[in-house]
Amino acid sequence: MAAETNGAATPGPAAQETAKPTGPTANPNPATAMGSAQTPASSEKLTPAQLKAKAKAEKAARRAQVKESRVSAPPPAQDKGATADGKGGKGKGKQDGQQAQTKGGQPQAHRPSVSGRRPEVPAPPSVVEKDVRSGIPACFSHVPMAKRIPMSQAHKDVHPVVLSVGQQMATFALNDSISRLKATFLAFRKVIESYETPKGNSLSRHFVPHVLNPQIEYLTECRPMCFAMGNAIRLLKGKVNKFDIDTAEDEAKEGLLEWIDLLITERITWSEYAIAKNAAQSMKDGDTILTYGRHRLVEETLLQANRNGKSFDVTIIDDPFTGGGKELAQTLRQVGIPVRYSPNLGGLRPKVAAVSNVFLGGEAIFANGSLHAPSGTADVAMAAMNAGVKVIVLCETINFDRDRVSVDSLTYNEIDPERNTADCFRLLYDNTHEKYITGVVTEFESGGGNSPAQAILALLRKQEDPLID
Amino acid sequence: MAPSQTSHVPTLDSLIKAFDSQSLEASVESLIFLLKRRQVKGDECAKATAHILCQVVTKSTWHDVDQLISRVQITGSRLARAAPMEPVIGNIVRRVLGLIRDEASEDRNADDGGSDAGSDIQALPASANLPQKPHPLPFRPPPSVAAAGLQVSKSMFNLLSVADTSDSLMTGASTPMSQAQPTSMHALRSEVKDGIDEILDEINQADDQIAGFAEIQIHPGDYVLAYQPTKTVERFLVKAASKRRFTVIFAGLDSPAPGSAEPPYAALRKRLNAAGVETINLASNGLMAYIPRVNKVIFGAKAVYQNGGLLVNSGCCIAALAAHEYLKPVIVLSPVYKFCPEDPSDEVLRGELGNPSSYVSYANGPAVEALDIESTITEYIPPELIDVYLTNLGPQTQHHLASILADHYKTEDINFAVHLAEP
Repeated sequence: MAAETNGAATPGPAAQETAKPTGPTANPNPATAMGSAQTPASSEKLTPAQLKAKAKAEKAARRAQVKESRVSAPPPAQDKGATADGKGGKGKGKQDGQQAQTKGGQPQAHRPSVSGRRPEVPAPPSVVEKDVRSGIPACFSHVPMAKRIPMSQAHKDVHPVVLSVGQQMATFALNDSISRLKATFLAFRKVIESYETPKGNSLSRHFVPHVLNPQIEYLTECRPMCFAMGNAIRLLKGKVNKFDIDTAEDEAKEGLLEWIDLLITERITWSEYAIAKNAAQSMKDGDTILTYGRHRLVEETLLQANRNGKSFDVTIIDDPFTGGGKELAQTLRQVGIPVRYSPNLGGLRPKVAAVSNVFLGGEAIFANGSLHAPSGTADVAMAAMNAGVKVIVLCETINFDRDRVSVDSLTYNEIDPERNTADCFRLLYDNTHEKYITGVVTEFESGGGNSPAQAILALLRKQEDPLID
Repeated sequence: MAPSQTSHVPTLDSLIKAFDSQSLEASVESLIFLLKRRQVKGDECAKATAHILCQVVTKSTWHDVDQLISRVQITGSRLARAAPMEPVIGNIVRRVLGLIRDEASEDRNADDGGSDAGSDIQALPASANLPQKPHPLPFRPPPSVAAAGLQVSKSMFNLLSVADTSDSLMTGASTPMSQAQPTSMHALRSEVKDGIDEILDEINQADDQIAGFAEIQIHPGDYVLAYQPTKTVERFLVKAASKRRFTVIFAGLDSPAPGSAEPPYAALRKRLNAAGVETINLASNGLMAYIPRVNKVIFGAKAVYQNGGLLVNSGCCIAALAAHEYLKPVIVLSPVYKFCPEDPSDEVLRGELGNPSSYVSYANGPAVEALDIESTITEYIPPELIDVYLTNLGPQTQHHLASILADHYKTEDINFAVHLAEP
């Protein structure tokens, strides 16, 4: 089976456990998987080996008990997903390989059941399932793709709230980086609330490898993690590790919940407000603003500028494959902003040359200053820069990736799950070189739009992140 | 070749067949009608124009060369006005006008013992495309005035030559040709008709000739991005596929809907796949993401202007821009008959707007109310983005377009429609 070969290829302790047959004997599986997942999660302090082994054993025992008490729910056929995921909890740009276990065409719109798993006969082995990635042209076969995992196949440690978030990510109901980040952390809040440290363990040692990592793995499997999530999860893990081993559980949980609230308030809510305010200030009366697709920050900026009483025109270039620009056009029209709408990139040169500013929203910014944004953004930025028009990127600092560098669009990207064959192929993102960007507006500076990405990266590097205290 | 049309609309072939049985005026009107409704467009315009001009030559009544020229001019400018975004029509009209002048001068030279009229820009060096600047009204000899014996030189080379009334046949004036005998007129008619047939042959063979250069341009292992392949590009790729193993990426898909009945370019892809060439349909708006992977960008042009700029279907410019940024060669396939001896008009530079209804459904009332949709259907690509112009005469660069134009058009025909603008 696909998953097993995969597991075997995985360098990690998970491999030998993978082939366990269906049935109650599968019990030790999850624990092992989790243990293995801990290894690559290098950002945390590694527990000494014996401690780990002990924790693992305890965990397995506990699991077995729980299992016995639960009659109604037979375990899933295999915990393939979790096993294969032993490759790394680190997530971004993570390659999920060929282990495609989506059951083609089985929609998963419903809310997860409380157990997170539905009793279900395991599906016949993956004949259909392999096709999901097999249609991808060879030259793009390294690019990961979101996939819908039937909830019955999810790891059993995955919290129901996380399950539903995962499904929403896989179906692109949660699409942009910030809303994914927010949903993830609100779900983690629930995970923390319902968490109880097992006896003989402390939260700072037990929570991340045994509770948090399975959630992260599951989310990553549903859809490759976005850069903001990667950043925030690193911060969260750092936060957990900072707790003294003797910290009382309630205190630690309280601290984590507060920290998550703070993260959401500071890095998302206030950031959005600050960026919209800054960017709106940089607009002048009579400006014509061009934007591509629909991005939350750009929309907020234009609405803010309108509230500030600025008079300006907007040109929206849309991506016919997503169509978000149309909604943006209607939203702006409702508040009385004159809008011109182009359904695609046709005639881009004259259109770009006629505007005064280009506002683009970004998914992420890499350490080399290049912008990771919905496909087509690079074309707009390039055309605008060639026409001598200012290109301003709006992006929260949580989206800045200080570790990764990307010089082309095929390094970190995702394939559109709906268009993943040679008949119809599409990448979701592209990479805009720094030279096509005049400036980046973040929540850091005021009245900005003229600081290059590198300046902000330097600032971020220097600044000890206030969230880790 | 024929676009998808409902049954009551004549296809180009049936239209051309009908030319023979209809009166000339009816044929012209029906073609103008189809041009206006864009039921004849693109490459078909060239053919249709050549056919209708053939009808003009054979059916209309004319007694001398000047009358013939003016008939062709009038019909030509009517056609050109009917489809202002199809510069190919004008090119064919110019070609036919040039042909008539050539034939006439041959005839007359035979009579006169071979003195040369000297009006060809062929006689000029290649760069002589715009040599007439100092001369007043070089391209527009007003026919009424010319009759009064006013000499208008066509080039500076015979600016100082002795004026000889019998030599000037380019003015549209009736003086020189009116003495021609009816027999020679009859001969002229059939010669011009043969000439037009040659033009038609050229149009029909151009794609194959261009395809002949395929294996020079495409190398094994290449990734070729073909933006909205036209017939010309299709033939080119198929020809290349017979010699080379490479990958074609089709970009600029029309239908944004995934999983629609038939994937685009299915027939072409089947042929290419059968030849062992991989194909990928790219359903993407932007192309910057893929260009690093691509070795060259190929598309067909609707027209090439004398500055080297292109009139293309909307979206090609993105491909050209992106390729230019990554220094990937941009190859334009364009038969010579699409080369226009003009500069692009403002309309061309701005791009033409098309029907927006495919982007907003009329069922969605608020959206129809709210949106000013600019759906561009043609656009202009500046010459600096183009590396190779692959014509049926071989690959050309921007700097040598002038000589091609000089070979194919006569200066006096360049603005053939201007002085007839008011019907």
